[in-house]
Amino acid sequence: MTPVSRLTLLLARILSQPRSWFRALTGRRRLESEMEAELSLHLENLTADLIRAGQSPAEARRNARLALGSPIAAKDAMRTSLGLRLVDEIAADLLYGFRLLRKSPGFTLVASLSLALAIGANTTIFSLAKQLLYERLAAPHAASLRLFAWTGSEKHVAVHSIWGDYSPLPGGRVTSTSFSYPAYQQLRAQNRVLDDLFAFKETGMNATIAGTAQQAQVEMVSGNYYPQLQITPILGRAINPSDDAGPGKGPVAVISYGLWERAFAKSPAALGQIIKLNEISLTIIGVNPQGFTGAKGTQQSPDLFVPLSLQPLISPHGANGSRLSDPKEWWLNVMGRVKPGVDDRTAQSTLDGQLGAIVRATMPVRPNEDVPRIDLRDGSRGLFYQKRTYAQPMTVLLTMVGFVLLLACANIANLMLARGSQRQREMSVRLALGAGRARIARQMFVESLMLAALGGLGGILVGYAGSSAIPRLIENSWERSDFHIHFDWLVFAFTSGVTLLTGILFGLAPAWSAARAQVSTGLKETSQSATRRRKGWGGRSLIGFQIALSTLLVIGAGLFLRTLANLNNVHVGFRTDHLLLAEIDPPQKLYPAGKDVALHTRLLESIAATPGVEAVSPAFVTYVAGQMNRTDFIPENVTLDKDKDDAEPYNVVGSNFFSMLQIPILSGRAFTPEDTLTSAKVGIINTALAKERFPNQDPIGKRFRSADETDNQGKRKPRAWIRIIGICADTHYNSLREDPTLPQFFLPFAQQTEVGGGLNYLIQTHMDPAALVPAIRKVVQAQDPDLPLTEVRTQEEQIHEQTQQERIFVTLTSGFGLLALALASVGIYGVMAYAVANRTSEIGIRLALGAQPRQVLSMILREATWISLTGVFVGLAAALVLARLVKSMLYGLQPSDPFSMLAGAAILISVGLAASWIPARRAARVQPIIALRHE
Amino acid sequence: MTDPQVSQPKQLDLLQGTLDLLILKAVSLGPLHGYGVLLRIQQISGQSLIIQQGSLYPALYRLEHQGVIASEWGESDNNRKAKFYRLTVAGRLRLADETARWNRMSTLIGQFLLATPATLGEEV
Repeated sequence: MTPVSRLTLLLARILSQPRSWFRALTGRRRLESEMEAELSLHLENLTADLIRAGQSPAEARRNARLALGSPIAAKDAMRTSLGLRLVDEIAADLLYGFRLLRKSPGFTLVASLSLALAIGANTTIFSLAKQLLYERLAAPHAASLRLFAWTGSEKHVAVHSIWGDYSPLPGGRVTSTSFSYPAYQQLRAQNRVLDDLFAFKETGMNATIAGTAQQAQVEMVSGNYYPQLQITPILGRAINPSDDAGPGKGPVAVISYGLWERAFAKSPAALGQIIKLNEISLTIIGVNPQGFTGAKGTQQSPDLFVPLSLQPLISPHGANGSRLSDPKEWWLNVMGRVKPGVDDRTAQSTLDGQLGAIVRATMPVRPNEDVPRIDLRDGSRGLFYQKRTYAQPMTVLLTMVGFVLLLACANIANLMLARGSQRQREMSVRLALGAGRARIARQMFVESLMLAALGGLGGILVGYAGSSAIPRLIENSWERSDFHIHFDWLVFAFTSGVTLLTGILFGLAPAWSAARAQVSTGLKETSQSATRRRKGWGGRSLIGFQIALSTLLVIGAGLFLRTLANLNNVHVGFRTDHLLLAEIDPPQKLYPAGKDVALHTRLLESIAATPGVEAVSPAFVTYVAGQMNRTDFIPENVTLDKDKDDAEPYNVVGSNFFSMLQIPILSGRAFTPEDTLTSAKVGIINTALAKERFPNQDPIGKRFRSADETDNQGKRKPRAWIRIIGICADTHYNSLREDPTLPQFFLPFAQQTEVGGGLNYLIQTHMDPAALVPAIRKVVQAQDPDLPLTEVRTQEEQIHEQTQQERIFVTLTSGFGLLALALASVGIYGVMAYAVANRTSEIGIRLALGAQPRQVLSMILREATWISLTGVFVGLAAALVLARLVKSMLYGLQPSDPFSMLAGAAILISVGLAASWIPARRAARVQPIIALRHE
Repeated sequence: MTDPQVSQPKQLDLLQGTLDLLILKAVSLGPLHGYGVLLRIQQISGQSLIIQQGSLYPALYRLEHQGVIASEWGESDNNRKAKFYRLTVAGRLRLADETARWNRMSTLIGQFLLATPATLGEEV
């Protein structure tokens, strides 16, 4: 045979078989009737021929049927010829499996529900973790991005003025990702080790977009930012180096996809429109692609991208407004792409040498100070702030949800094992009737898969629900949030894969033993009646494991629940109801020092006159909002110690602040409207500060001085003495968790010469805030139409937001705890019920020989209790170890909190008892005569 | 119970795997329905080849599944609807192949059975 014809044959076969198979599968009814027709035609023809040959009709029919053989067998063989056999068998398996699942709805529900919850919970949490901690910037080849950071000795690094992150490292060092503009420019000019350096800075600003004054997040970017990140706008053009050539050279902005959608309804007419940023008009030149979040972070995109050269105009700072020329101001984030052939360590040491020289050449370095050392970091996730905030909570959540997954796997294993052993007799019967062992194993496999598919389907639903519910837990009512979790199919595939694999493995184990079993053993009923103490160990250790895990999860939930309860019970020290908070941040260019005070004073007056407003007070700091303003507090006759930190938290407030917030003045007096710019400077301190700085003295009448101030000519001069006129009670300052006796002092707003940033407004009202806010906005717009009212929320919402993480934690961990309890109780119930069923005849004999039902009951319960106790003990030990790792997340209790520990243990022991109660009672009610007759 | 096939001692049992070849040959002479295939095989072999009628149809289905024969519904001699099988192009190749193989095999077996001590002596 020639190779060509061989190939033709093979090809014909490859083409024909799937077509024929598919045709047979889809036209099943037609196929069956055709087979029937062909066979009956054959019979008819044969019969006719036989009659023609001289046989009687009856004889002919009989002989024809004999010659053809069984039509059922023939049809079966014909189906096999078409490759339908496997399909038919699997269809039969599916039908059988479906009937079995329907026959025991309890088992089906419990098994698929526990799978669904475990898969769904894990998918949600893993997706969340992946998104928060592993997502990269939406720029091509993000992995090649490097972020510039530096480290230095705490309090001895030459960099003094930082606008940006600043955090301590172990070993008395500090780190920051902020650089000065001159340092960036020189590093870029000298750079040989990276592709190119680019810089950016994200900050909030007042913007007027499409006629609405609002707070906008703005990323100021260097001219080479877009080409270096390899981002092309979907509409219009990117910011290019000529836009960034000098201040005001390119009064342009690229807007985010989100803003384009929100403010311009995705209209191409957005291009060319003018927006105002801190009173500077900018032209929109482009729209960023969807999903691009800037270089700072991966979670949310800034609204506007503008050239860095605009900084002196839109975000002025200091005497001449520009940060660009000041080597002492460190504020800029710098990134670069790796250069092929240069490894990170070489790049870092080269850059480090360059930075050291630049710092020494451009700024004063005192003898006891050191220069910042370059730390070249992975820049693929931007500044990666979320690591600091979320790394620990996510680790805790991932651990807990991982335990839930383990629990669910153990549960499925348990259920499948128990069910498989129950069905060993059935398997023996099937084997005896001639079923192949492979066929039986396949059937068990199909059943496991069906259960798994049910669970997986539920898992998708739970995962979807979770993915849309979690962001709602995270966001707060007054800040816009684009955060949403993408349902991660990869994660889903992983979690469902793990659980399904467990189900299949443990479903196959009994099938395997059934398939290997001797037919005769399974059929001998007596083999079932022997006491099977040894056989239950697999199941029992699985339950012990489940109980240990559940104990751990329940105790964890208890610790966080108690933390939240403690936080909710914190008395902040001031009145929080009917208090509306808002911020107004006038641009410094229009409202420099002096003018800003005048503006705020006017605003305060007109807000106070608004109908519905009962009282209004300015405040530099709103409480329990994570804000902290500190400045020097130097009492008279105390020598200044250079090495000591004399700063204390302070607040600048209105004269009615203490009465509004009902903060008691313990001695002396509160501020009054008579304390003005021209009257004697006065201050109030709280009890904690009085105790700290004036032990055993009466502070009233004593004088102190605050930090030096810089006058218009840039000269430093000491501030005037401030006389202490009152002592007030302590309040919480920046958080609920802090020590409530934080020292604090207060200065009257009326005696300030500048605000230097945003001012908070505390508005007391009995009206619905939603009804009042528009009126207040109108009052503000009347003063300046480009001035937005931002951060509008009530004090209660603000405090609520502070416990948000705890609430999310409590919600999730309690959920996991409950899930764990449910899984464990199902496990205990299943295994105990199975054990009782297997020991029915043993129990019957015991009862027949004189055992009391109560004794049987306690025998079963004792066994269950031993398992529970062992599990609880192991779980407690693990909880004691693991709780120490979350110490920093707890409030008002120790990691070894005896209440949580004991409650967790007690819950698990009672759940264990309750779950084994029904099987135990069933055992006690066994009628000896029935149990023995059964044999 | 007497088996009708046992009562005809002259018939030969079919060698394993030759049913496909017989069917291919039968339909190569013109389209046939299932019973027609049986009749033609018996006709060609002079009634001396028996085939299990029950295995005829699975074999037809298998060959059609493999694409070497094709089927079509049509009218039989007695005006009944019947499924007619015919050889495809691939089937023609297959038939040629199987025929060549069969011939080779039968020559070989024939020569083998002709062997005598004398022929052996010559060869060795």
